[in-house]
Amino acid sequence: MRADYWTRFLIPPGVWLLALFAFPLMLVLALSLGYVDDLGRAVYGTDWSNYAEAFNPTYLPVLIRSVGYAAATVALCLLIGYPIAYYIARFGGRYRYALIAALVVPFFVNYLVRTYAWVALLSDEGLVNNFLVNLGLTDRGIQMINTPWAVIGGLTYGYLIFMILPVYASLERMSPSVIEAGKDLYGRPFRTFLHVTLPQTKQGILAGSVLVFLPAVGDFVSAQLLGGPDTYMVGNLIQDQFFAANNWPFGAALTVVMMLFLSIWMIGYLRSASRDARGAAI
Amino acid sequence: MSAGGGLSRRQLLQSGAGAALGVYGLGALSGCTVSRPIDRSAEGQIVVPKIDGDLLIYNWTQYMDPALKSGFSDKYGVAVNEVNYDNLEAMVIKLRSGGHYDLIWPSSEYVRRLRQEGLLLQFDRNKLRNSDKVNPFFDSPWYDPNSEFSMPYTYYTTGICWRSDVVSGMTGSWNDLSNPDGAGRMFILDDFQEAIGEANLINGSYINTEDLDELEASKQILLDQKQNARGFSTNDITNLVSGSAVLHQAWNGDVVNVRNQVDNPEDFQFETCEEGVPVGTDAMSIPITARSPGTALLFIDWLLEAENAARNVAWTGYAQPVEGGAEEFAKLAKDEPSIDITLEQLANGEEYRLDDPEARQAWTSLFTEVKAA
Repeated sequence: MRADYWTRFLIPPGVWLLALFAFPLMLVLALSLGYVDDLGRAVYGTDWSNYAEAFNPTYLPVLIRSVGYAAATVALCLLIGYPIAYYIARFGGRYRYALIAALVVPFFVNYLVRTYAWVALLSDEGLVNNFLVNLGLTDRGIQMINTPWAVIGGLTYGYLIFMILPVYASLERMSPSVIEAGKDLYGRPFRTFLHVTLPQTKQGILAGSVLVFLPAVGDFVSAQLLGGPDTYMVGNLIQDQFFAANNWPFGAALTVVMMLFLSIWMIGYLRSASRDARGAAI
Repeated sequence: MSAGGGLSRRQLLQSGAGAALGVYGLGALSGCTVSRPIDRSAEGQIVVPKIDGDLLIYNWTQYMDPALKSGFSDKYGVAVNEVNYDNLEAMVIKLRSGGHYDLIWPSSEYVRRLRQEGLLLQFDRNKLRNSDKVNPFFDSPWYDPNSEFSMPYTYYTTGICWRSDVVSGMTGSWNDLSNPDGAGRMFILDDFQEAIGEANLINGSYINTEDLDELEASKQILLDQKQNARGFSTNDITNLVSGSAVLHQAWNGDVVNVRNQVDNPEDFQFETCEEGVPVGTDAMSIPITARSPGTALLFIDWLLEAENAARNVAWTGYAQPVEGGAEEFAKLAKDEPSIDITLEQLANGEEYRLDDPEARQAWTSLFTEVKAA
């Protein structure tokens, strides 16, 4: 009876999900089986050839590149984000929430706009290069944008917060007394960190890595604005099918393949998380 | 997922089966065109020039002297708002999804495609005060018989623009895109026809070749050129002005525009190439979804006025086939012969045109493969 009562509240969000999430997703699936008519318009169909094309080895380097950039982004986000989260959680004291807010607020600004800001900063005659030239370190500026480094940098900047927040949450949940216990057992700071803190925050790191990795693999903004001729990512490939090559069915097939690919990672993460939760309960 | 539990194999299989069932149901959609039903109520109507609301124009960036917008605004008391596209396919997609733009600048080939698709409004060119000042060459162009759906805006060549203070040894060939002085600061136009077209010319193929072997050879040329490139972009003016580019596949007028914006105009040069000079025409058309088609037609007339055309040519650097514009362009071309173009060239030259949908598909896939490699 009680359960029934509460279940009713699931109906509006359920309808919303069905109408605005599941149904459009089905349309993408349907479109991926379609073809392009003589006027260049996409037509729904039952043709699997787009999938065959999606597995054309030509596109393999694009996938490898995307995964590589995303993995590098995760590593950088972890290297930058963990110390920040650690510092705030352990030593933030009463400024903790203010510090978290200070980190979150810039992310209210759209990612695209923030990436454009990077273009202005890093371009050949941008602020950073002007500064370097004025210091006399270089005479005509260093090429920073249109490189893979700029793309990875842009991705890191764009998704850093998704690493900091879960790591911060797991650090905050952790009792400081276990660190003290580690030191009481004569663990030096680094060993204490390695054997006590790090394992305790593993789930936070894993959650942060997934939250950074998944959007980074599919990102196209960073490569489009900061990339060069050799930084084409899956997101760019898909976007170009919709807005330049005018091949929506192929774009949809790539989208479906990409979603399946990312789902594998997601399922792996969910299984690992639930295994850990079960382990903790016992 | 059940609370606290893991994701069991059975749950995975169940959700997979559910999804498969959903896909099966989608077979019903087969054969339907993916397009939003757009408002075609204006179909068959013939537009006449009169003020019927504010104007939203949809153009390439930096392709019109902004003073012409404010001048029109002051004269007729309507707002002129502008949004930009950076390739024509993107523009077409916005039109198909029902975007309410009042005026667009399609190339000749796109006028024909949009017209076939019923996306353009017909107008009465005899109601324009300046229609008789347009060169008769455009009275009935191949892409728009009787000129009922478009008025010509500019005509142009494609070549290479470079910074002579950085790059030397230019030879007047498309192979100059591989000039090592431009390494890492060279751009190829992010337009599948311009990019594949120049490679076709290098190979000695017909510019619009549909031969797959010839296209494969052009792909190799593009892959080689890509080694020298910093990117693919149609924003040649911005790239050259900002210094990101010292070597750029570019349209002839843009060198004039760039020189107008920099402190060292003498360092910017333009050349057309011996293997072949692609030519093209951009026109002005009114989409069927326009909210102010009358104002749009008045604006077309405004741009064709001799004084405004002259002003616009001086600003954009492009030839306009209308009284005032033609004379102004002759002056520009006298100072800078490399940008010159004549209507004879347009009549006999090599214009991008892919009529066969399959060939078009082959071209776009090839360009995607070049970018992806």
